[in-house]
Amino acid sequence: MNWNLFVTELVAGITHGSVYALIALGYSMVYGILKLLNFAHGDIYMVGAFIGFGLITVFGGPLGLTVNVVLLLFLMFLCAMIGGGLTGVMIERFAYRRLRNAPRIAPLITALGVSFFLENGAQLVLGAQFQSYNTFSWANNPIGLNGFTLPAQARISYAQVIVVVGTIVLMIALTWFVQRTQTGKAMRATSFDREAAAMMGIDVDRVIVVTFFIGSALAGAAGVFNCIAYQQVWPYMGFQAGLFAFTAAVVGGIGNLPGAVLGGLLIGLAESFATGYLSSTFQQAIVFAILIGVMLLRPSGLLGTAAVQKV
Amino acid sequence: MVERDGNPAPPDAPQIGVDEWVATHDVRREGGHGPLARIRRELQRVPTPGFYFAFGAAAALLPAFTTNDYILRVGFDTLLYMLLALGLNITVGYAGLLDLGYVAFYGFGAYAYAMLASPQFGLHWNTLAIIVVATVATALLGFLVALPSRRLLGDYLAILTLFFGQLFVTVYQNGNHISVLGFTRGYDVTGGPNGIPNIDNYDILGLKITTVRGYYYTALIMFLLVLSVVYLIDRSRTGRAWRSLREDPLAAELMGIPVNRLKLIAFAMGAAIAGMTGTLFAALNTAVFSADFDVPSLIIVYAILILGGAGSLGGVIIGALVVNVSLEVLRTPGHATYIFYAALAIGLVAFVRPWRWFGIVVGGTIAFGYVVHAIVSAVWPDGVAGSPAIGGPLGSFLDSWQLYPANPRTIGNVAFVALVFVCMLLTLLHGWVRWVALIPTLYLASFVWENRLVAEPSITRLILIGVILIVLMNLRPQGLRGTARVEIV
Amino acid sequence: MLRRATLIASIAGLATLAIVASAVARPAAATASCSSGVSIGMLAPITGPAASIGADQLHWAQYAVSQWNNKSKVKLKVVQGDTQLDPAKASTLAQSFASNKSIMGVIGPAGSDEVIAASKILKKAGLAFASGSATRVSLTDGKYKGYFFRDVPNDGVQGPTAANYMLNTLKVKSGDTVMVVDDQESYSTGLADIVGKALQAKDVKVDRESVSQNATDFSSLVGKVTGSVKVVYLPFQLATQAQLFAQQLKAQGKSAIAFGSDGTFDSKSFNVSGSYISFFAPDVTTIKTDAAVVKAFNKQYPGGTSPFGAPNYVLAQMYSQAITKSCGDGKLTRAEVRKNLAKVSLGTTILGTPIKFTANGDIAGAKFHIFKIVNGKYVTVA
Repeated sequence: MNWNLFVTELVAGITHGSVYALIALGYSMVYGILKLLNFAHGDIYMVGAFIGFGLITVFGGPLGLTVNVVLLLFLMFLCAMIGGGLTGVMIERFAYRRLRNAPRIAPLITALGVSFFLENGAQLVLGAQFQSYNTFSWANNPIGLNGFTLPAQARISYAQVIVVVGTIVLMIALTWFVQRTQTGKAMRATSFDREAAAMMGIDVDRVIVVTFFIGSALAGAAGVFNCIAYQQVWPYMGFQAGLFAFTAAVVGGIGNLPGAVLGGLLIGLAESFATGYLSSTFQQAIVFAILIGVMLLRPSGLLGTAAVQKV
Repeated sequence: MVERDGNPAPPDAPQIGVDEWVATHDVRREGGHGPLARIRRELQRVPTPGFYFAFGAAAALLPAFTTNDYILRVGFDTLLYMLLALGLNITVGYAGLLDLGYVAFYGFGAYAYAMLASPQFGLHWNTLAIIVVATVATALLGFLVALPSRRLLGDYLAILTLFFGQLFVTVYQNGNHISVLGFTRGYDVTGGPNGIPNIDNYDILGLKITTVRGYYYTALIMFLLVLSVVYLIDRSRTGRAWRSLREDPLAAELMGIPVNRLKLIAFAMGAAIAGMTGTLFAALNTAVFSADFDVPSLIIVYAILILGGAGSLGGVIIGALVVNVSLEVLRTPGHATYIFYAALAIGLVAFVRPWRWFGIVVGGTIAFGYVVHAIVSAVWPDGVAGSPAIGGPLGSFLDSWQLYPANPRTIGNVAFVALVFVCMLLTLLHGWVRWVALIPTLYLASFVWENRLVAEPSITRLILIGVILIVLMNLRPQGLRGTARVEIV
Repeated sequence: MLRRATLIASIAGLATLAIVASAVARPAAATASCSSGVSIGMLAPITGPAASIGADQLHWAQYAVSQWNNKSKVKLKVVQGDTQLDPAKASTLAQSFASNKSIMGVIGPAGSDEVIAASKILKKAGLAFASGSATRVSLTDGKYKGYFFRDVPNDGVQGPTAANYMLNTLKVKSGDTVMVVDDQESYSTGLADIVGKALQAKDVKVDRESVSQNATDFSSLVGKVTGSVKVVYLPFQLATQAQLFAQQLKAQGKSAIAFGSDGTFDSKSFNVSGSYISFFAPDVTTIKTDAAVVKAFNKQYPGGTSPFGAPNYVLAQMYSQAITKSCGDGKLTRAEVRKNLAKVSLGTTILGTPIKFTANGDIAGAKFHIFKIVNGKYVTVA
């Protein structure tokens, strides 16, 4: 057995899966509370990635960075998360809020509209060209080229380490927030039963805003993570990523946070192992086939509880 | 108060147990007074098929008024979208099954026609035979897709069909070197990214259809046939059963309605219509490529269905007209500019009440513009250096009213972002503050349009589609013609 | 009830207006004349996933026309046709251009599929269509002779040049492996097929892979690059994707050489040292005489450019000349423009190579150069 290939695919899968997991978390959180498939979520990820790119440009561009790299990374995450979060909150306030009690398909179509708007608005303002973080050639700090050597001569770059570690940190923070804080408890209660939660004195509107902020902030961070490892930023990047993350959320059991992470990793691994061992051409098809299989065996997702119909 | 036979006594004659709200119910239901209301009342008496007939007649007359192939082509495309939306209307509108892989069926039908009537495999079947085969095959495919998913609820069905759609595109995109489990050589089945070119035209019993005009009529006939079938089904037992299924599957099941079977039929029927439409698409284009059947087409069909109102046949017609015609018209910056200002005007007329505020807003905006223009041309001459894209009276008015910076790109981008925020802010304001704030907003909107959006018509029309979807859904979640609640459980 | 009525009324009003506007406005633009202005139609994926190529093509054409209008009597206009790389849309738009009497020639369609989908309609309307990026060999087999032109050499020139360079200079021997990765678009698969076949003819093993153009990560594919893989051929349309692939090769410590095609030719985006690239002209961004043009272009359209952009600048120039020449007698027809376009010969272009068409519409004397990337700079090696 070719262990080098195996470890390489494992590393690639986990890295890419982490990005999917972060986006999927936001999808899942919003779905848990509003039962809304927020198609614009992938575009918030794009907004986050562009905010990071803007910061790199402001600080001298990839080849002539004028600030410390660690500081820059920190700033990128901070701004992307805040910017992504605010975008999400605005979308909720101005596009979805009036539709809380409308037929379910209305907010779905609104979400498509928001997605259209963000993608094309971004192209109008930022241009259609592919831009690059170019992390591999950051001044004196090639975080993409250097890294550790793993068993079987496989290599992992610092960029990949940042992505995986960053994702784990964010997930721990999120778990703490949802499990331990007052707001987190309110979120869980709201997602369990919105009306009952409102009756218990929970400010449901506030909880929804917080959910959107956190979910979108995670997507913003995912945008920066993605581009640290894979560099490219362009206005339509959100669509494909959103689709895969959505898949991840459903496979793990939509509305279930550990499920979203599991789903994300699973998709990332399925993608890279399909490429490594089967065929890169039908990579997508293979991933989809696996997922359809999973869904047929466990319709509510791997960690989801069986759907209870409320009559 | 309109006095009519059979109406309850007017409210000024008090009745026991009937308060004013109940007593005036009929009047409110009838939509009030005035000639407009009367016209509407008269229109409501026309039976629904009358409208479809009127539409068919009007559409049949279109080629008599124009020799322009482009207009006919847009008409043909619109009819294709109507057909697609009709099929989707069965799946989503009647049965309430969220099918996100719908265009894959459309593509399947198109590829079926392409394979059976092109040099790809050297086959040139009879057109009618292919239509039947393609329709039946697509229905079977729909049945197969729905079979395992019938126990899946709403969103899971959505995701599964979405995958199916993606799978379809991937397989057809790479279908030029398909080998059996890797043992045989790669066979070219779908032409891969090069698609299947040189497809035969429709040849119905010796009548070869080669012109756009011919295809327009073919599409119209096909649409009217399908429409009548769907209309009849809608009125039948099956149609009623579908609607009860959509409203409440649990209750429907308790009533003894075979829920699973009905879901399968709805899915397969929607797919069949899409497949049939696909053959028409392939025949006119004489080439098929997998890129035609990807998510963007799906979004357009959904936008049409939802805009018109899921579950409404008339809505399908209106939705397709509004979406496809406006998408085409917006391509030309000259037309788009007129439409933009007309839409602003209509929006103001429809929403600014009372009328005195309408006057203040319009007058204020015009005055505001002249003041800004005067100040800027005195302080910063570069700010009025450019000129509007359109000529005519509107153009010369704009030139003296709006700002046209010499290099509008950056400032236009900033203004665009500012406009987005200002519009969102506007929805938070109430009363007179909102109307006053509307004045600079309108001016800003016109500025952004003239200086940035007009230069990029291709991007602008997609942005506008996004905005229209958001605004319309917020104002009227059930769509233009929809009445019933369409609940996807 | 009232709100619904107003809404329906406004929509109805809009629709009526749309129809009226199109009816009113169309005759106004129905004819082209040398004095009042001539239009050139542009078929390109201006929005959508391929917008980075299409928007750039549009901008270059617009830039050429604006330059031309500054100094010429015959004023030109570019009419946008956004195909979103969808052949069916290209076909509808071709119909629109065919019906628009002010349009005298078409730049595009961008993709080879779109050319096939639109060709019948454009040919019937007597319009010339000249593409700056459709490179499939079969397009110039004589089917559209006199109608279709392109100012980029076709895959049949580029593929063998690249394969021969790998065999002769990079010393790829029989028994070695070359990984060929396409991006599932017809440009890319066409080149990949040709190169793959040329290599297999010399008993070189070809590992054919393909990635979607939306792919962002190649590390799993790079994992498959074993020691016996000497060269990875990347006929992509996006330079940034080739860059990422080449960088990930380095990051994983692989010794295989990345070899790009003309689609990845952009020294700003693809600059991993030690990689090779084939292109039919010298580097636009490094040609000294072009510096002013490129700078002015970037000022007007910031955000960079792609290798498939500049050929459209040249096409717009050629159309300008053809239309001016046709206007010599004060009359203008599509047939005249077509004939004159076929005869235009540019001695110097921003592509750095003289350009004129062969009888079948290909670029005459097409030849590919091979570049090696040394310290981020493109150096001509063949």
